[in-house]
Amino acid sequence: MNPIDIITAYWPRLIDGTLMTIRLTLMGAFIAALVSPWLALVRVNAPIAVQAPIRIYVSFMRGTPLLAQLFLIFYGSGQFRPVLEAWGLWTFFRDPFSCALLAFALNSTAYQTEILRGGILGVPQGEIESAKAIGMNPLQILRRVVAPHAYRIAWPALGNEVILLMKASALASIVTVFDLMGRTRQVFSRTFDFSVYLWAALIYLCLTATFVFLWRLFERWMNHELGLAKTPSAAPQAWETRP
Amino acid sequence: MTQSDIVLKADKIHKTFGQVEVLKGISLQARNHDVISILGSSGSGKSTFLRCLNFLETPTSGTVTLHGEEVVVRNGKPANPRQIEQLRKRLGMVFQQFNLWSHRTVIENVMEGPVIVKRETKADARDKAEALLQRVGLTERMNAYPSQLSGGQQQRVAIARALAMEPDVILFDEPTSALDPELVDEVLKVMQSLAGEGRTMILVTHEMGFAREVSSEVVFLHEGRVAEQGPPQEMFAHPKTEVFERFIAKVK
Amino acid sequence: MLELFALGDTGWGDEILRGLLVTAELAVATLPVGILLGFLAAYFSLSRVAPLRALGFGYTTIMRGMPEILTLFVVYNGVGMLLNALIQWWNPEAGAVDFSPFAAGVIALGMVFGAFAGEVLRGAFNAIDPGQIEAGRAIGMSNSQVFWRISLPQVWRFALPGLGNLWINLLKDTALVSVIALDDLMRMTKVAVGVTKQPFTFYLLACLIYWALSVLSELVLAAMERRANRGVRRAA
Repeated sequence: MNPIDIITAYWPRLIDGTLMTIRLTLMGAFIAALVSPWLALVRVNAPIAVQAPIRIYVSFMRGTPLLAQLFLIFYGSGQFRPVLEAWGLWTFFRDPFSCALLAFALNSTAYQTEILRGGILGVPQGEIESAKAIGMNPLQILRRVVAPHAYRIAWPALGNEVILLMKASALASIVTVFDLMGRTRQVFSRTFDFSVYLWAALIYLCLTATFVFLWRLFERWMNHELGLAKTPSAAPQAWETRP
Repeated sequence: MTQSDIVLKADKIHKTFGQVEVLKGISLQARNHDVISILGSSGSGKSTFLRCLNFLETPTSGTVTLHGEEVVVRNGKPANPRQIEQLRKRLGMVFQQFNLWSHRTVIENVMEGPVIVKRETKADARDKAEALLQRVGLTERMNAYPSQLSGGQQQRVAIARALAMEPDVILFDEPTSALDPELVDEVLKVMQSLAGEGRTMILVTHEMGFAREVSSEVVFLHEGRVAEQGPPQEMFAHPKTEVFERFIAKVK
Repeated sequence: MLELFALGDTGWGDEILRGLLVTAELAVATLPVGILLGFLAAYFSLSRVAPLRALGFGYTTIMRGMPEILTLFVVYNGVGMLLNALIQWWNPEAGAVDFSPFAAGVIALGMVFGAFAGEVLRGAFNAIDPGQIEAGRAIGMSNSQVFWRISLPQVWRFALPGLGNLWINLLKDTALVSVIALDDLMRMTKVAVGVTKQPFTFYLLACLIYWALSVLSELVLAAMERRANRGVRRAA
């Protein structure tokens, strides 16, 4: 078959896989986005003893392959099957999608925590002082001064992280989730037509490019709203490697 | 003078950084309408002292009293955070580096305190902010962002921001030191007019002219102690201590 | 419990160590390939010739936008097919050959490393003080002399942190080759799991080994950075 035949014959599967990839990525990134700010705050402000578990968690997540983390959750949970069944958690751990989502969310939480930590450390100290001087309480300072600055600083790196998570989500196919990669492998195993991989590559590139475009658009809008004509030059560009 | 005239009182403020004792028990009283200039060479502890008044720096020990309400510090542990927040609401502060919130417009900077801290309505806060910005001559730049303003303009916004809280006392921490020389006057003029309308002000400054002409009292700090204090005319004409004499000779 | 990890026939220690060795071999073999590709990509991206620049940009952009596992499959299946087609064309009598998973791993991971390294190195070359290059020109150095004598020695200092991150990513990415049946740490772990039915224990062990490698790498890299920055005032 030539590349055109492949896509005309199998496009519904590839679209289906693409939607799954988007779902996995956005859900994983979103869960991580809910958890990471709190960890980042603890990481910046809490005493060393309280920070320690977060540091270890972040180091572990960043120092081990995501594939190994995924296997640890998906296959590893089997070792505790009786316990998990007793707690009613077995249906969750038996499902490849939920395991992949859990692994991605845990992994991305670690990276996002580090990114936001950098953002919080970059908040101008003087602006925090003036907020204190006017009588704001810590929560008000967090909401009105720290959060807006930290997110503006972290925004490009967070976008980069979502892209990396999308690429990493292809690993879900190895535990039989039918994301774009899973569908691609399925088609290949039926046709042995190499061109399906090239189609998959093209789709991934389109996803990345679209995401980068939308993220930058939002960044520009946000900076405009904040009256900042230029983004800080130190901001990392999307597609950088993970720190 | 009766006791009730005293707005702000600091008593035996000590501050130690590590092994270094920066403030060795400084006391100060500000009565209504006082304009107190704190002078001293760098390292004399004058900024630290000012920052102790609103607890941006926690004194090692000492007492700050605002309108009879005491905040006592012993062993570097201040009373409760609520009490400090209450104190800060009534003490305005203007910083050397302006410290405007860069993500908010000029008018938003001025409205922030009244709306967020004092829970005033946005409409009220806006009316007040507009009036204050007119007062400091920045009506036209109301919707600009701090980064689009000159240093002098930023500092005037910072003054308006402090005024918006209707503070009992305004603290100025070297308000003109970060400004280009040609921008100093516009800020000093605003401060002078505030003094003229009877605001209670405490400032750390290097502007000798302003200290001499505008303030009602000068406090000279040397090595963490009050070396000399009194009405400016007399102090500048007849310095009592050698250190102050040397100080005015140097800055002239 | 501990006898599970014993060396020899009784435990899985030796199998896992053998896997670890393959992982290390793969990472070490990939590194020079990746760095070489990275320099090429940086050279192309900084070239004054537009088509070369486009090539550099295309390579780094495409490789960085694709999942590593997809790259690995493309290389493993694609290059394997291409190789067989070539052999058939050369000698129709020859049978099909298997493309070695190790070679596929080196090529695929090297290409990924090279794309990211290209960006790191491009940034590093751009970070070199242009005044120093001008100074070289001013004393009559040629372009290549400027490159070898001034740019290259300094580029390490700027590129080291980025390349260090890439090395740790590479270590972790080697786990992917277990999917194409290379007997690395990950795959030997899987084998052990299959026999012992203790998936959590063994995958945790694998994670801990990878973690140790990463932390060790970080320590070594930190020491290298300190060395590389000797005599340079720290940007506080």
